[in-house]
Amino acid sequence: MANILIVEDDKDLNNAYRIILESAGYTVESAFDGKEALEALKNFDPDLILLDLLMPIMGGLEFLQNYDLKHAHPDVKVLIFTNMENSPEVTEAYNLGAHRCIIKSWTAPHNLARVIQDSLAGNKATVTE
Amino acid sequence: MPKRPATQSTLTLDEQIAQAEAVFTSIGDAAIATDQFGKITRVNPVAVELLGFTEEELVGEWYPRKVVAVTEHNIPINLIDRPITKAFLTGKSIAEKMYYRKHDGENIPVSVNVSPIIMGAKPVGAIEVFRDISFEEEVDRMKSEFISLASHQLRTPLSSIKTYSHMLLDGYMGEMTPAQKKSLRTIIGASNRMNELISTLLNITRIESGRIAVTPKNLRVERVADEVIKELALLAADRNISVDLIAKNKQGYTVKTDTLILKEIITNLVSNAIKYTPVDGTVTIHISTRGDKLQVSVSDTGWGIPQYAHDQVFTKFFRASNVVKRETAGTGLGLYLVKGLLENLGGRIWFTSIEGKGTTFYFTLPKRFNPDRPAPKPAGGP
Repeated sequence: MANILIVEDDKDLNNAYRIILESAGYTVESAFDGKEALEALKNFDPDLILLDLLMPIMGGLEFLQNYDLKHAHPDVKVLIFTNMENSPEVTEAYNLGAHRCIIKSWTAPHNLARVIQDSLAGNKATVTE
Repeated sequence: MPKRPATQSTLTLDEQIAQAEAVFTSIGDAAIATDQFGKITRVNPVAVELLGFTEEELVGEWYPRKVVAVTEHNIPINLIDRPITKAFLTGKSIAEKMYYRKHDGENIPVSVNVSPIIMGAKPVGAIEVFRDISFEEEVDRMKSEFISLASHQLRTPLSSIKTYSHMLLDGYMGEMTPAQKKSLRTIIGASNRMNELISTLLNITRIESGRIAVTPKNLRVERVADEVIKELALLAADRNISVDLIAKNKQGYTVKTDTLILKEIITNLVSNAIKYTPVDGTVTIHISTRGDKLQVSVSDTGWGIPQYAHDQVFTKFFRASNVVKRETAGTGLGLYLVKGLLENLGGRIWFTSIEGKGTTFYFTLPKRFNPDRPAPKPAGGP
């Protein structure tokens, strides 16, 4: 099963995603901001990163720049998980190589697992999540 | 021009000119007068101060060249689009907001009002009054930022409420009894409604501050509509309303536009149709092609919109009196939002409605979103 890194500053949500993804059989690592994520990536090789945008210390966009997703890790799928739909930040995340964007407060757990499975299979969103 | 009665004019010509000069100079906003060719004939001290030119530098110059008007993205506004040109062409007063480039190169936001001076049915000049609206713009920006931030902060705990309720319902923490499941569905339903409200607020703020981002992607409209139908199935079932989708083209309807915005538009129209239709009614979504555009219509067999209210439907906080009595939930923001979102995608919306029979909303979208094309002006009928 695939490796997933969760980068989300809200402890409750981070924990919830971990429960959902672990029970779907994935190996999960958690980070609570972009800097922690970069640190975790030294010892963890993810297939997919579930990334929040608005976080303290280092936000999602800055993380994507530092991680150099587009050039250094083109095979890693980054799923933006945010509450800022239709915002310039989401457009910027796509420019930095993000694979998909889903809206936290719209997404039920079973949908999250489905979207992750679909993304890992290499599918871009054809329909909204 | 009718002759003025002799009693009113006891001033000499020189005195009259001096008085007119004093009136012009004393205008509290910046004022510039031009001849019929747009050459500056007079400026007041506020204009001189605001633009940073001296009076000598301005008077005698061709106004549109001397005072450069630009958009918020610092793109010069064409002569034909300048308010002064429009005022000359239409013979009417024109009020607009734009940016003026000062002598030192800095751009200032201004609210401009130009009136042609008409003598003998011909324009003999124009008078333009403008003022610096930096402060208003700043307040507006702060307001938008505040709403945006507040909405985002509201959503974070809401996401937790919703995620954990779903997890309980889906059995992540053990099997629930039917009564527990029912309560969880109520919690989820309420958090969904709250989420929609926040979403509406956030989007309206973004539209009004020009901060809405469009991410165009190829998508199949019938699939988006189908998803909306699935998501609104509970709402429709509650009122025993059938929601049908007509999309005849077997190849489907592909457009390049923003998926989430399109989904929000369709969701708003369909949920409105369901809410404002009596039980056992029908809602039909019809997707078709109209020239080089995609057309979607949403029809219902609902209460309809009273004739008197037809031109207010897309205004903020509008709710028709016939539905306020029946359906209390509603903010009057939905259609205002839909119209704003559509304009950001380069589309337009209109409707037909007969009270007591039903309503059909139509919208068109360009098949390929063009980021360079500004949103069309407010649209009426087709």
